[in-house]
Amino acid sequence: MSRTRHLDPHCEAILQEYQDNLPRFREVEQKVKERLRKSFADAGLLVAALESRVKSYDSLAGKLELKGQKYSSLADLTDILGLRVITFYIDDVDKVASAVERLFTIDWENSIDKRKIHEIDSFGYLSLHYICSVPDFPYRFEIQMRTLLQHAWANMDHDTGYKSGVEIPKRYMRNMSRLAGMLELVDDEFSKIRIELTDYRRRVQALVRSGNLDEVAIDGDTFRSYMELEPFSQLNRRIASMNQAEIQEVSLMPYLAVFKGMGFKTLGDISDLIKNYSEGAYQIACYQIGLTDLDIISSSIGPQDLCIAYILKNGGGRAGIKYMFDLLNGESESNDIMAEMLLEQSKDLPFMNTSN
Amino acid sequence: MEVKINTQDTVTTAQLIGRLDTPASQEISGDFDNLMKYAAGTVILDCTELEYISSSGLRLFLSLRKAAASKGGKVIVKAINNEIRSVFMMTGFLNLFEIQD
Repeated sequence: MSRTRHLDPHCEAILQEYQDNLPRFREVEQKVKERLRKSFADAGLLVAALESRVKSYDSLAGKLELKGQKYSSLADLTDILGLRVITFYIDDVDKVASAVERLFTIDWENSIDKRKIHEIDSFGYLSLHYICSVPDFPYRFEIQMRTLLQHAWANMDHDTGYKSGVEIPKRYMRNMSRLAGMLELVDDEFSKIRIELTDYRRRVQALVRSGNLDEVAIDGDTFRSYMELEPFSQLNRRIASMNQAEIQEVSLMPYLAVFKGMGFKTLGDISDLIKNYSEGAYQIACYQIGLTDLDIISSSIGPQDLCIAYILKNGGGRAGIKYMFDLLNGESESNDIMAEMLLEQSKDLPFMNTSN
Repeated sequence: MEVKINTQDTVTTAQLIGRLDTPASQEISGDFDNLMKYAAGTVILDCTELEYISSSGLRLFLSLRKAAASKGGKVIVKAINNEIRSVFMMTGFLNLFEIQD
């Protein structure tokens, strides 16, 4: 199991205690992870990784060999069970920390916010460490919380062979400090971008809700906000009512490319499409499924038939329809066959022969 | 209606042979339950010899797709004839599946 070590009876006793309690450590590891996962999910907090490990026998024996006398029992070692939460954003580290504070008892005396203890001549980009405990388990464990970039730093830092706080040659220190500062800056900038994007989304949602759609340019965010208002639902329900069909809700995000491909600039253009082409779309749907017993449709039937009606009415013809299907389904010759079929079916529909 | 299932590594191919109308959908629902077990990988629904699909058949396809989406797998619908493609299009399900010629 391990190489020969020179451990005194005191350290051997700690190792034995470790072995006796190993199953409990593993059990607590899973429970702590599960509680963290649930807490993050409840808070809608997306983390990059949640890692954990129970210290191996060899690693513990090595540690005891070096500084076993520091510890009077296994309970003095706080890193037998270690967990690490890696976040995308720097401000999420604090959110994770407050979740950890709510879930576990924190040993504040031994917990370190290494982010706050930078010395002027130190280098590094460090993380937050909490020493925690749970009831009915006499051993403490450590939770490290850091961003992806702090994590990258910690790994690179480790590879240099110098630990933070250890004196390193000055000519290297300057470069290491510059690098740490840059990563800190990047983390801050990512956070700023997220805050600005959130503000932008709020403003857009307010515009969408207030109906000022002509002022809202089409992009992924604005389109998603608009889709939350279910602008096609009335048309979908009308189509479904033909066959008392069930409507399966699907993502309409693929239509973003189609609307852009049709030259639409604002959400107002989509709103106008619904206003002016719903009758045409309904006629297409009537022709296609009205005479069948198909009683299931997807929520994309509305936008699909609206686009078909718009393309046909505006002279886009077979090539226009094929282009739409190519955008939605990937390029294929079969899209041309469907476009031809649609062109044929639609030419006698009433909407094609009325002026808009 | 006949379903022939063949699994190689993480790819499972189901050959659908015949007409997938309402009675046939009930008849082969057990085969689709079986296919759900492979939904974490890639499931190819080979429709080379599938002549027709009804709403009940579409529901089988959709439930398999849903299972694959939740397990991180994918469903490929292969070689559908023009009539079936048109059913997928008319109902708005065409872009929901990866369709291979």
